[in-house]
Amino acid sequence: MQAPTFTWHGVLDGAHKGILIAPTLIAFGLGVGLLAASKGLTVAEIALMSAWVYAGGAQMATLQVWAEPLPVFALVLTVLAMNARYVLLSASLRPYFGTLPFWQIYPGLAIFGDGNWMLQMREVTEGRRPDAGFLLGSGLVMILPWTGSTVVGHLFGQILSDPRRFGIDFLLAAFFAVMAVGFLRAARSIAPLLVAVAVAVLVQKLVPGPWYLFAGALAGSLAGAVRVDKA
Amino acid sequence: MSIRPEVFQAIALLGLASLACRLSGFLLMRYVSITPRVDAWLRAIPIALVGAILGPVAVNGGPPEWLGLIAAMGLMYVTANDFVSTLGACAVVALTRAALA
Repeated sequence: MQAPTFTWHGVLDGAHKGILIAPTLIAFGLGVGLLAASKGLTVAEIALMSAWVYAGGAQMATLQVWAEPLPVFALVLTVLAMNARYVLLSASLRPYFGTLPFWQIYPGLAIFGDGNWMLQMREVTEGRRPDAGFLLGSGLVMILPWTGSTVVGHLFGQILSDPRRFGIDFLLAAFFAVMAVGFLRAARSIAPLLVAVAVAVLVQKLVPGPWYLFAGALAGSLAGAVRVDKA
Repeated sequence: MSIRPEVFQAIALLGLASLACRLSGFLLMRYVSITPRVDAWLRAIPIALVGAILGPVAVNGGPPEWLGLIAAMGLMYVTANDFVSTLGACAVVALTRAALA
């Protein structure tokens, strides 16, 4: 494996490829902004939340449980349940970026999301040199439109009359299916995929909340470790 | 256009929880040696996350979502273009919903 690096070229390349994810985030962000307005958050509060918590699914889920007085403990648990998968995603970056100085990798880690993590993993699984600039650049073009679109959604929620009609609610799923093509080519077996599907579907039926994402990803990836190729 | 103190405190905590999830995996793996088995586990995470997200979409969805997933992967095989494939799949979902409505 090539030694990792951090380059400004990588930041630009990441920004360029990461722009693909922006329309999904904007559509989702408008919805989250609308929900925040209906829950009585001010514009400044949703802007702060989007930039600092910065997790679409987790924000959507916390806003569902949002009430006065604030159920702080339940809110924190909801964020942990929704974002537990990030522990796995972040762990998976270690083999590629473990030798970098912390100031080159941690800024990118602090603002990564599913979409740009996927793009970064595809870069390295296709044999390109691990460049932490790519993670940072692709993260920056996500967090800015995300925060902006939740503000716009709060102010003018009505413009998104019916996202289902235009298939906008399917953007994230479509993006993941597209990403799957590259990972299926590189995968040594499809056992992790099948186990993840089965566990996620089962846990979603049995356990309330978004734990199914973490459970499916954990079980599926462990299935990938059952058989190890002898080097 | 203001931020209430109790909301500020709650959001600060939620952000810390979010940040802890993002940083902790990378941080903890510093103390785990990357054996072939650990390596196989880490390499399987992307495809497992794909399954965990798309499995419920496929099971809870109907013909528009099924066609959308097939279109996304089919277009990607043919065009190798992320953008075209993603938007094309959404168009397939929208058209199928319109046709079935």
